[in-house]
Amino acid sequence: MKNIILIFTGLLLVFSISCTDDFNEINEQPDALSVSDVSAKFFVTTLQQKLYRDNVFELWYGRILHSDMFSGHISGGHSAYAWAGDFGWNYWNALTDNGSWGPYANYNSTLTSYMNLVGDGGTLENEQYYALGLVMKSLYYHAFTDQFGAIPFSQASDPNVELPIYDDQIDIYKGIIADLDQAILIIGSNETTGVGVELLGNNDVIFNGNMQNWKKLANSLKLRIALRAHGSPGEDFAARVAEESITSGVLADTDALLAGYAEETNIWGGSTSYGDVWHTWPTARWKMGEPLINILKGDNDPRLAIIANPSEGGTVSINLTPRDGESVALVDKHIAFLKSTLDDAGLVLDTDYTWTEANDELTITMQESTHYVGLPSRMNGKLQRYFNTSLFSDPAENLTQKVNDGKPVLPSIVMLAGDTHFMIAEAILKGLVTGDAASYYQSGLRKAMQHWETITGVSLDESNMTALTGTVDEKLEKVATQRWIANYTNSIEAWSIVRDTGYPSSAVITSSDDEIISYAGELNGAYPNRLRYGTGVYNSNADNVGSAVGRQGPDVMSTRLWFAKE
Amino acid sequence: MMKLKKLFTLLFFVLSTLTYAQSVSGIINDDQGLPLPGATVVNATTSNGVVSDFDGKFSIEASSNDVLTISFIGYNAEEITISNPNDILTVQLATNLLDEVVVTSLGISRQKKSLGYAISVLDGENVNTVKDNNLANSLSGKVAGLQISQSGSLGSASRITIRGNNSINGNSQALIVVDGMPINASLPINSEGNQVNSGSNDSGGQPSFEPSIAGGGIADINPDDVESISVLKGPSAAALYGSRAGNGVILITTKKGSRSNRIGVTVKSNLYVDNPMFLPDFQNQYGQGSFGAAYSDRTNDWGQFSWGGALDGSQNPYYNGTNKAYSAESNNVENFFRSAIRSITSVSIDKGSDAGSVRFSYTNNSSESIIENSDLNSHNFNLRAVTNLSDKLTVDAKATYFTQDVKNRASTTGAQGLLTHLYNIPRNVNINDLRTYQVENPASPDEFAVIRYADGFVGNPFWMAYNDETRVRRNRFLGFTKINYAFTDWLSAFVRIGADITSVRDNKIYKPGHHNRRLGELEIGESSFGELNSEFLVTAKRDITNKLNLVANVGGNLSKRTSEGFLVRGTDFKVPTKFFLNNIRTINSTEESPLAIKKVNSLYGSINLAYDNFLYLDVSTRNDWSSTLSEDNRSYMYNSASLSTLLNQFIDPSQKLFNLIKVRASVAQVGNDTDPYQINQTFSVPGNGYLGLTTLVSPIVKLNADLKSEIVTSSEFGLELSMLNNRLTLDVSVYDMTTEDLIFDIPVPAATGFQFSRENIGKVSNKGLEIALGASLIKMNDFSWDTSLFYSKNENTVEELSDGLDSFVYNNSTDNNIAVKATKGGSIGDIYGKVFTGEVDANGFPIGSAAPTELLGNAQPDWLGGWSNTIRYKDLSMSFSIDARIGGQVYSQTSADLDRNGVSERSLKYRETGITVEGINTGTGAQNSVGITGQEYWTAMSNISENYIYDQDNIRLRELSIGYSIPNTDKLGIQSASIQLVGRNLFFFSKSAEDIDPESMLGTSLGVQGMSHMAMPTLRSLGLNLTLNF
Repeated sequence: MKNIILIFTGLLLVFSISCTDDFNEINEQPDALSVSDVSAKFFVTTLQQKLYRDNVFELWYGRILHSDMFSGHISGGHSAYAWAGDFGWNYWNALTDNGSWGPYANYNSTLTSYMNLVGDGGTLENEQYYALGLVMKSLYYHAFTDQFGAIPFSQASDPNVELPIYDDQIDIYKGIIADLDQAILIIGSNETTGVGVELLGNNDVIFNGNMQNWKKLANSLKLRIALRAHGSPGEDFAARVAEESITSGVLADTDALLAGYAEETNIWGGSTSYGDVWHTWPTARWKMGEPLINILKGDNDPRLAIIANPSEGGTVSINLTPRDGESVALVDKHIAFLKSTLDDAGLVLDTDYTWTEANDELTITMQESTHYVGLPSRMNGKLQRYFNTSLFSDPAENLTQKVNDGKPVLPSIVMLAGDTHFMIAEAILKGLVTGDAASYYQSGLRKAMQHWETITGVSLDESNMTALTGTVDEKLEKVATQRWIANYTNSIEAWSIVRDTGYPSSAVITSSDDEIISYAGELNGAYPNRLRYGTGVYNSNADNVGSAVGRQGPDVMSTRLWFAKE
Repeated sequence: MMKLKKLFTLLFFVLSTLTYAQSVSGIINDDQGLPLPGATVVNATTSNGVVSDFDGKFSIEASSNDVLTISFIGYNAEEITISNPNDILTVQLATNLLDEVVVTSLGISRQKKSLGYAISVLDGENVNTVKDNNLANSLSGKVAGLQISQSGSLGSASRITIRGNNSINGNSQALIVVDGMPINASLPINSEGNQVNSGSNDSGGQPSFEPSIAGGGIADINPDDVESISVLKGPSAAALYGSRAGNGVILITTKKGSRSNRIGVTVKSNLYVDNPMFLPDFQNQYGQGSFGAAYSDRTNDWGQFSWGGALDGSQNPYYNGTNKAYSAESNNVENFFRSAIRSITSVSIDKGSDAGSVRFSYTNNSSESIIENSDLNSHNFNLRAVTNLSDKLTVDAKATYFTQDVKNRASTTGAQGLLTHLYNIPRNVNINDLRTYQVENPASPDEFAVIRYADGFVGNPFWMAYNDETRVRRNRFLGFTKINYAFTDWLSAFVRIGADITSVRDNKIYKPGHHNRRLGELEIGESSFGELNSEFLVTAKRDITNKLNLVANVGGNLSKRTSEGFLVRGTDFKVPTKFFLNNIRTINSTEESPLAIKKVNSLYGSINLAYDNFLYLDVSTRNDWSSTLSEDNRSYMYNSASLSTLLNQFIDPSQKLFNLIKVRASVAQVGNDTDPYQINQTFSVPGNGYLGLTTLVSPIVKLNADLKSEIVTSSEFGLELSMLNNRLTLDVSVYDMTTEDLIFDIPVPAATGFQFSRENIGKVSNKGLEIALGASLIKMNDFSWDTSLFYSKNENTVEELSDGLDSFVYNNSTDNNIAVKATKGGSIGDIYGKVFTGEVDANGFPIGSAAPTELLGNAQPDWLGGWSNTIRYKDLSMSFSIDARIGGQVYSQTSADLDRNGVSERSLKYRETGITVEGINTGTGAQNSVGITGQEYWTAMSNISENYIYDQDNIRLRELSIGYSIPNTDKLGIQSASIQLVGRNLFFFSKSAEDIDPESMLGTSLGVQGMSHMAMPTLRSLGLNLTLNF
């Protein structure tokens, strides 16, 4: 009896002293780091990788199915492709929400948390890291606004604003220039971020911690923005900014690249290469776009064989039985388009390929692995069965390289030295600065070739490219076209070049005949000039997005952005 | 095995205390003269006891002058002194419904009439006659206010909510308590802190493409061990359980050894055959192809659509390269499924006496899935012993060991599950042809191609059944020891220590060649959960005056919950024929969740006052200290009070009409804390980094050191009536529950460096009405019919979210056509989708809204109803239950997929004729005149989600059993034997939704309620039960 009472009393005692002593300790997560455990450099890599080498949604849904296609570099809709040729052109909110708006809108929190850490009063405060962050911020906002137009910018970094306003593109451009100026000022003549734990080193996967290169990148971006803004309504800064940036020094010799990770494994949460998409989803394999192939061919550009594979060729049979609702005339029209595509690619009937129609069957024989044929963009799905996969060029293995195969994976382009040369040429042609445009054009070509030489190890000859001659407008066309080629795999920029300059005109793919080139839903035949806002913003910040739409035009893909050519 | 032998030896030793005497037999009747089966007869002299059989008959050893005590719940006990052992006794017990005793919080048994809140009690028979592999599913349709949502696959969990959803983002499911000990229902947590295997997370994003709903929780409880189930609804009833009981409690009491003068041995064998209850309606007129023509080019143009030509029997190219007659294979989906055999066998041995009781049971469950190569096997060992060490000291101990092996539960449902590729099979493809699924002699591992009926992201269902392997092995130990000591006749106390330890090993293999994972993938995970509860309770019963009685309880509990685990994922097998970790070329990620501990200390007390047996007042208070909250907020207290009064003695003292009139009212509060690690901000280290560099990631959620517990406040009023000699009973409750300070991640400006901030915000209310009506329609000697009806209605309202936030999106469907939200002024689970805008584009295609922004319905039903019946005629008995779910909507992504692919019967419309959609043509600005084909029409419509929102309305015959109690089995040495024919999910009286069972959701988490996508077909079970008592 006494024992029992003792037990109960003991138990009560245990409760009354209520052992909550270890509560704080057990609620500390053992597999996570606190602020005292970390250094700023560990945050730089992700900041860079997330903008240029994000997960599969950003690459596939965002770039491949939007800007890569819109720029005319690549195309889908051939017979072995899972979707019709207008997939991606025809607005589907899942693609934009998850691939474009989502990753870009969310990047702001990655960026801002970095800026808060290294900025004034931050736990890992460091001026140089902050300047690097300002350049990343500018690269980010530039790519973001060029895709969507008005976006939250001026209030997007203000923790006290729950629902930021959407700034007009001109104001965003001005803001970016101010940020870049601040970064350039902070970097000054600094070479590194500091010593000891402050030393950035190889955690900077773009410049290995070289702050002078960051300064040059800042200047190059200033120049790019000045050129893009030039001549747009209300622009009054292009000449000054272009002059300043060239004087201060752009990236003339060094490419700003973000190395691909040949051992990357987590395409959903980590990073993704083109090869990941290519090898993981065989039916999502795209073809080289007709505009790019035909321009490279026309110029006899040595990069053609570097970036594209010749068509597989061989003999293909295509069933010509009209399907329900289709007339014989339509079948004829469709195969006529196929024939004109082969002809436009410079193939000669009966020499390079044969064409036999008999018993409702079309037989085409093409020499194997010989000819480069680009696939037309934005085709109506009804054409899919005629555009046999064997007839069109795939991208070269250097792009589609499978990861974990022991071979290098193509880096992502931040800014090519070649492009800065072209941009100076463009600035001269536009009269913003003075100088010899032709020589910058030529040196740009050499630099642009060198980018592929460093990757493939072969020597490319730029001399057979057309010299910079003709009217100013013709010269601008040539410069724009070369910039567009140089920015292959950097398609947000390539798409911007097309929208800004209208060149190359073959990349401005519009439709007046839905039976061939799809009207692509809401575009109604127009060229895509922007992407639609993420559907979520109509829930979270409806008033501000509404006001932006009121100023900018309807939230559809055909609405022209401020910088776009009329 | 040795251990088992020892156990048996021990058991028989304990049980073998038999004495011999003369036998007295008799029959026990109720006050209507009807036989009472199951009444207990105890010879008080020898302490032996028996239970009356189906006919109320019993036979017990007794000598002259022995005293028999005859008792039965709900009846007054009788004592009979034996004068002549050879007499045949007839004993009549008088009804005493008012003394019905029910099990309440903390396992305290109380008279039901004295309770001031609603409680529903079910007999074990209700859940173990027609067995489901998950005990929860057997509760469906039997308790007012209880809602069960199933996810369908073999061995998976179900969602259990009582009186609606209380929390927006936290847990809304009921707490499961077995024999007084809360059991663990956690699922593995991934590195982002989300529960994996629940179908999705509750914090936004898309539901998984292949939801694999883990089992656990109540699914591990063996129905044959269940004595009774009490459902404590709402905080009032559950206040004493604290934080976890805010969503109600399901209180399971398991069987103990019954008092008997002999060893009771019961053998039960249940054999069921499961088949799909129904399948979608498929068309059988058009075959594989597109735009009205069969595909003709196998290498370049071979899709999965059934938009081809009319199935005319002509020879056409076939997916496997041969030619085949182009004719309908009407049963190709049906033929994929097999009749699955489920066999559940249990043996129990028990014995009881004054000295205590022992019960041992073993149950084996061997169940096949209707999909080949998928099954479930489990063994359940249960030992329960109660020993009265002295007349004051009792030890009650239980140990349950459960082991389960589920093969290939996963990968069947969802957007990329097996059923997607089965249901979309072209109508002219013979399913059995797909049994040839692997190309022979692949040139290289990369070429391990699967033979499929179409190109693209299409799988071969047979290949998936045999090559997407999952294996989940669970081991679980549940046990407790309770020491009860009666200090005096008015003061007693107990200490109880209970443990629940689960370990789960999860293996998942996608073999090389998978249509979406060519190189193959492997995932191995192991997680374990522990829950340890130590508690004490001191109970004092005092009659303060003759009329005023007091019961006071003071108790405390130390709860410690732990979880840990790891998960490794890899891809690309070095040698593509064997599948283990070392054979993996690339390890994608290793996730380790180190031991996480959550402790909650609690002290509580309650006082029950009864005045003159008609007025009852209960008050309770509880204080919790939770380790998951900061020091300042760690301690929180909440109280409850209830009042009930019996008015019958004033209104109808002679019981002419009313036997009971009770009105009751209660108010209560319960707090709801959070998970570990939710208050201190940290950085996580991603497994891989980039380019081999160490990278750190800032968290996206800003944690809040000042986080408080959520508080649920409820009030409830009730009326209970019993009339016409207790032949008719009525129980009505109305309640109002409000949850405030919801723990919720609100979106914040990115400028904060975060995407979300965790706050205590908002307010959710649930208001409802519950009615339960019971009647003994017929009560004659050989014939009786008992019936009960219930109705429950719940209205959920999101009263407040934070400033600037009007809605919270749980999930978008995988086709992005649906968003499930909680919207201010709306309710949790509002379904938003796309509607036809009334416009068509230049080509004549209907245009849907750009984003899922139109309110189309809500995932929660308006009301639930049930009707249960038991009819007995002599040795025959029949029972059936019908239940109804009315109101509420569900999005059938299944139907949208079937229409898009042209396999549904619906898609026959407009095939031949095409259609000109009515609306304004945006190309011309005038009324549309451009026609489109049927294929184009259905492709467009399948993306406009309003077309696939169905009402959940359905009424079904949930359970039916016909039993026969075999008479005169004594000669065979069998005390009693019965045989039952049982059926489950027999048919629908009505159902609104096409293609799907509206109660089958994508998973158990809140965010996927209201979405159905390629769920496993609901199973119709037919079976035979054989029960033998020796």
